Amino acid sequence: METLEQVFNDIVKKYSERLYWHVRRMVGTHEDADDLLQDIFLKIWTALPSFRGEAQLYTWVWRIATNETLNWLRREKVRAALRFQRVDEELERRIMADPYFNGTDAQRELFKALARLPQKQRQVFVMRWWDELTYEEISAITGTSVGALKASYHIAQEKLKLNLSQAEVSK
Amino acid sequence: MTKKTGISVPEGYFAHLETRLQSIPGREVKPTVIQKVSPWLAYAASLAVLAGLGNFIFGRAAATEEEMGLDYISYLSQSLDPDGQIELMETPALTEEDDIRSYLIASNISVEHLNELDYEEDY
Repeated sequence: METLEQVFNDIVKKYSERLYWHVRRMVGTHEDADDLLQDIFLKIWTALPSFRGEAQLYTWVWRIATNETLNWLRREKVRAALRFQRVDEELERRIMADPYFNGTDAQRELFKALARLPQKQRQVFVMRWWDELTYEEISAITGTSVGALKASYHIAQEKLKLNLSQAEVSK
Repeated sequence: MTKKTGISVPEGYFAHLETRLQSIPGREVKPTVIQKVSPWLAYAASLAVLAGLGNFIFGRAAATEEEMGLDYISYLSQSLDPDGQIELMETPALTEEDDIRSYLIASNISVEHLNELDYEEDY
């Protein structure tokens, strides 16, 4: 029988890289993503003894990761508000200053537009578009119905297109 | 829209990431702020409960005394007619013997009693 530590190490091997990219697309910068990923795995380790196998391990791990990421974004929103700033502007500023962003202008604009989306829409878009999860998988992780997820994804996609076209026009 | 994001990681990041994350079980988990303050919160809550309980018990006792006092006053005001109360309040101080007699007469004290009083005075 596997010990908790062995199960945890398996989770790290299986999911760490994939979760890193998810978190990175959600928060923007490498430094924030790295910090948050450690918090997520610390949470997974502390919650592992209470994992009862009612959900799939995959769904359970993703659920912790997405919840922690949303909590992080909420905390950032509060921090920004305390400094009389907008969180999307603060995230944009950090993305611009991130040394591990070496994309084109269009890719930079895409990230900026992503930062302006409401958290839930951003989450659905990242999970569907980049993480390539199915709606059923996203539904199991987030507890949102497939219909609502499709609607959120559609709205997010339209907003991104609009923001990108406006950015193109303003150049 | 392109799926390429233009984001990258430091060289060898993922090679070290696994090792770093796998060291988490050996780490001493720092208590959260809530865990740090929870014993103090428990003390504060106990004190608040005791203070509330004390306030309730002693408050009730004081209220009962007050109610009793009010009851006594209302009893007096019901048992004495308004004139009686005024009479009590307006009774002058009795200093002279004549005043005492007048008072006794007004209070329907019999002549015999008055004579007895005179008789006693002679002795």
